[in-house]
Amino acid sequence: MTASAGLAASFRYTFGRGNPNRRQVLLGLPTVLFLLFLFAIPVARFMLLPIADGTIEPYVKALTGELFLLVIWNTFKIAAYVTLFSFLLGYPVAYFLTVAPPVWRLIGFFCVLIPFWTSILVRTYAWLVILGRRGIINETLLSAGIIETPLAMLHSTPAVLLGMVHVLMPFFIFPVYSVMQRIDTNLISAARGLGAPDWRVFLSVYLPLTLPGVLSGATLVFILSMGFFITPALLGGGRVTMISVLIEQYVNTFLDWQFAGALSAVLLAVTLIAYGLMKWAMKGDKKW
Amino acid sequence: MPQFTRDRALLSAGSALALMLLAPQGAAVADEVCPGEKPSTIVANASGGAMAEAMRNAFTNDFEELYGIDVIDTSPADVARLKAMVEANNVEWAVAELPGQDVLLAEREGLLEPIDRDIVDMSGFPAEARESDYWFAKSAYATVLGYSTEAFPTEHPKSWAEFWDVETYPGPRSLRDDPVDNLEYALLADGVAPEDLYPLDVDRAFEKMDEIAPHITVWWASGQQPAQLLLDGEVVLASGWNGRFYGLIQEGAPLDIEWNEGMIKLSAYGVPKGAPHACWGQHYLQVMTDPKRQAVYAEEIGYPGLHLESPQYVSEELAPYLPTAPGNIERLVWTDLEWWTEHGPEVRERWNLWKLSHQ
Repeated sequence: MTASAGLAASFRYTFGRGNPNRRQVLLGLPTVLFLLFLFAIPVARFMLLPIADGTIEPYVKALTGELFLLVIWNTFKIAAYVTLFSFLLGYPVAYFLTVAPPVWRLIGFFCVLIPFWTSILVRTYAWLVILGRRGIINETLLSAGIIETPLAMLHSTPAVLLGMVHVLMPFFIFPVYSVMQRIDTNLISAARGLGAPDWRVFLSVYLPLTLPGVLSGATLVFILSMGFFITPALLGGGRVTMISVLIEQYVNTFLDWQFAGALSAVLLAVTLIAYGLMKWAMKGDKKW
Repeated sequence: MPQFTRDRALLSAGSALALMLLAPQGAAVADEVCPGEKPSTIVANASGGAMAEAMRNAFTNDFEELYGIDVIDTSPADVARLKAMVEANNVEWAVAELPGQDVLLAEREGLLEPIDRDIVDMSGFPAEARESDYWFAKSAYATVLGYSTEAFPTEHPKSWAEFWDVETYPGPRSLRDDPVDNLEYALLADGVAPEDLYPLDVDRAFEKMDEIAPHITVWWASGQQPAQLLLDGEVVLASGWNGRFYGLIQEGAPLDIEWNEGMIKLSAYGVPKGAPHACWGQHYLQVMTDPKRQAVYAEEIGYPGLHLESPQYVSEELAPYLPTAPGNIERLVWTDLEWWTEHGPEVRERWNLWKLSHQ
């Protein structure tokens, strides 16, 4: 509970307030220095490798090559699907957590947080065990005589989507929950009192009020999806090419770090643009 | 591994004996080995990890005992760093591993001292391993056809043409997510003779790849994947590195190797240009030419040295699983590293595009 509240608060902080005062800046300094020297500078150096070698050709190639445009588009599509499914599945969960009686709420949080605290690798391997040719589902269906040859479920785009939604859904649920919690229930009663049917209450009152949470959850899920690596690499079996998988290939297999750096820069740029668009969509909403 | 322990003990005893025989002449002999003052340490740069351990047990300890020079192991193997060192005229390494496809690059860019054939005796090596004047063939590995003995208990595919034959040998398959080797396999499957492979007919190879693509359920990316996929029953056939398959076969996993038409490659060492102790680096390489020491290395890690006599010294269980073993090496095809150095980048881009079109 407290963890989720803290998380929700940090979301509000990240997306909400501007201009922290000087004392807050001082408090943040160690983290900023840590991130600057151990994250920002090394990452920037990597992305600027081609420039250090006096060429911009890798960037041009990353932005114009047929392959890279296809892969970026593919990544974009997968990220969009993951975001959509996180919304469709996560929104009702967040609502349930808001309205459920305390015991059920506790159980609900437990179900969301335990996977959230479990390593991505473990959760992804679990899907390998469940979906594999000799996995739980295939073995069950085979022994029940429902199918004769194992179904090919792993190593496909649906498998990747399933794994990613599973990992990323909590990032959608928490911000939505934190917004839902603060909705004034009198507004709902008022709408009902004015004779609106349930669907109308939901579409005209409740959903718009939760929209800020939905947008910030969607932003998080979308951005995390764009750079996702482990799940597509393991569940995609090399048949689902997302940009991070391509970057890894250029680093480890092809040893072309310049180009890997250029691709990373493109990924960052695309992600920032997506973030900017979401920010812009949320503009004017003063609630958070 | 009792056999292996015994070999090790014998070998240590052997080198100790050699040292005792050398001892009476004392430092004078050692000083004549290389001109100039003998250093107390030299640096050997390589891949690190399990390989560093194997290198140490097989070669490095013996070098230290023979010459009384301590070897500092550094890692990882990195030709980009080698280049920076040579260009800055500040070379730390006396001897260095040259990873995979970078070997020719290192040679072309003039980053290497020539191998001193008066010191490094490669006469027992096959001709393919003696071609270069600049790098030393440390070991060989083959990308071979691994198969599940559960799926194919009696008859298994014995060529790439049969790997392509999904009617006779049904089931999902895995190949590496890289055009290297796969294009060769495709051409072999299409009836090209091994000696006519290079220069590769890339168009023809990709056309043949179209046929098999729907049956490749996993394009593997890391070395341990193929054996694991076979073990899990996720695929029934997979290309993979011989040492990785052997590791699991040894543990009794239901899989085996078909050596025919596997692609064999060398992994190399060299002496950096302008290395401070280049002469000692050459002597380090000489220690690595010894077939018995190479056998120790093979026992440790599953990859053999190239001395043709080396397979005689490995245990009976391991011998048939070395790519250099008689009966295997004749059936393997040498990868033309030069062709791949030349055409690698463009073919790899085409490979990725091709894969996207089959997604």
